[in-house]
Amino acid sequence: MLRDMTLGQYYPVKSPVHSLDPRVKILLLIAAIVAVFMAGNMLAFLPAAVYIFFACRLSNVPFNMLLKGIKPLRFIIIFTVVLNIFFLPGEKVWLDLGFAKITQEAVMTAILYALRLVLLVMFSSLLTLTTAPVTLTDGLERLLSPLSKIGFPAHEMAMMMTIALRFIPTLLEEADKIMKAQSARGADFESGNLMARAKAMVPLLVPLFVSAFRRAGDLAMAMEARCYHGGKGRTRLHVLKMHKNDWLAILSMAVLIACVILIGRL
Amino acid sequence: MQIEFKGVTHTYQEGSPFQSTAIRDVNFTVSSGEFLALIGHTGSGKSTLAQHINGLLRPTSGQVLIDGEDIHSSGYSKKTLRQKVGLVFQYPEHQLFEETVEKDIGFGPRNLGLSEDEILERVQEALRKVGLAYDEFREKSPFELSGGQMRRVAMAGVLAMRPEVLVLDEPAAGLDPMSREDMLQLIRSLHESGTTIIMISHSMDDVARFATRVLVMKKGTVAMDGTPADIFLHADQLEEMGLDVPVICRMNNDLRRLGLPLPEGIYEEDALFTALMQLWKGGENHAS
Ligand SMILES: Nc1ncnc2c1ncn2[C@@H]1O[C@H](COP(=O)(O)OP(=O)(O)O)[C@@H](O)[C@H]1O
Ligand SMILES: [Mg+2]
Repeated sequence: MLRDMTLGQYYPVKSPVHSLDPRVKILLLIAAIVAVFMAGNMLAFLPAAVYIFFACRLSNVPFNMLLKGIKPLRFIIIFTVVLNIFFLPGEKVWLDLGFAKITQEAVMTAILYALRLVLLVMFSSLLTLTTAPVTLTDGLERLLSPLSKIGFPAHEMAMMMTIALRFIPTLLEEADKIMKAQSARGADFESGNLMARAKAMVPLLVPLFVSAFRRAGDLAMAMEARCYHGGKGRTRLHVLKMHKNDWLAILSMAVLIACVILIGRL
Repeated sequence: MQIEFKGVTHTYQEGSPFQSTAIRDVNFTVSSGEFLALIGHTGSGKSTLAQHINGLLRPTSGQVLIDGEDIHSSGYSKKTLRQKVGLVFQYPEHQLFEETVEKDIGFGPRNLGLSEDEILERVQEALRKVGLAYDEFREKSPFELSGGQMRRVAMAGVLAMRPEVLVLDEPAAGLDPMSREDMLQLIRSLHESGTTIIMISHSMDDVARFATRVLVMKKGTVAMDGTPADIFLHADQLEEMGLDVPVICRMNNDLRRLGLPLPEGIYEEDALFTALMQLWKGGENHAS
């Protein structure tokens, strides 16, 4: 039941993209977002589209997994497009509806915005599809760690995120088990009105909280027993190192940005 | 009541990169009054199989039939099914949630839509069966009980449905030796009073003591199916699968290997004792 939900959306296969340094991937995503925003005309999106296509091929993630990421956002995209088409001012009028004019400029801008959104989503999806959540928080911690000098709790934030991520599947599994156990006693989670369904959650939520607190207590105890005392002076098991592929990825992104700028000038 | 598995296969998360087939082409029939033990290595699919019996999981292919009817056919009532087939999960005490023991045990009967009188009667009966005094425990919070008591309350919650078939997933796991023995005696007495038992177990000694039939699972398939005597004849095969054989069975095999002319497949203390006594007496007769 519950375990059928794919959580996060990490796609666990082996590929050169998966094995990139998470810090590099996060920075590349930021660079890609900048590139997509810099693209001033339709043609300038072409290199970005080509880039994401090949990056996806290289990552062994099926292309429609990337497209799936767009689906939940389709209403926002359509909404933006419609708003832009009707309300952006322009010179060349294609259609005059009285209350609004549809102009060539507005249509072009609307398409530009839509493409921009789609590409942004695809770039971000590629990051989460190819990076395990825990690796991602690890990269984030390393990127944010300079901020700890000014008191930002980078390590603690990352540790909290890692623990939360680590326990999501466990809790889902637990919820699934409890739901089945209560179903075996005739509980009905699926029918009835809103009130009945909310009430039906009690036999699921109480044991779930009891077990979550028990686990949290056990974990805190186990961490302390192994002398965990926060981030200060901690060394790492997996030291992130830049490899050839990381430099190649950075190079490719530089090329993409250059292309976008050049084409934008045309 | 007869339960029949016909070519049942179950694949978790089919179509995702995480898919895994937990049981494959499982066929067997259980009749009323049997005490079936389900054994196998961790991950061999025992729990998955158990959850098919009361329709919590739906076979990816194949059928589960009860008295000849497919439990997933549209006309079959899930409620009746859940009432007829009780399922006690592993660590069932983790499913307790009510403020009082009485309310928690009444949860199942209440879901069946019974009257308050009937619910009360069933709660009392279930508590009596698991050996807890109604007056002492009814007002207690399930969370203030000892581990063994919690397990019994959880078990009572299933018994209150008055199931004809009771499926137990490692009912003795994690209990201290005394609670463990109590639990097994409870299951035995339920069997004697006519409930069909299907019990997942890790302990071959328990299987040898109680089961009338054994189903051995191996990597999602049924590797052996027979009486305990049949199964324990193949001690070497069981050990190959990483499974134990009962102490008495091992002892008998060792003695046979040492050259004592004992019969094959003895797995009960009494039987071994009788056989040894016979040998001894026979030996004495020869000597005189
Ligand atoms: N809810 C689930 N989702 C995905 N895989 C599962 C789930 N439950 C069990 N499995 C897998 O199915 C296989 C059989 O598990 P299970 O039936 O629990 O075996 P057993 O009870 O014999 O230890 C295991 O490989 C396990 O990882
Ligand atoms: Mg199991």
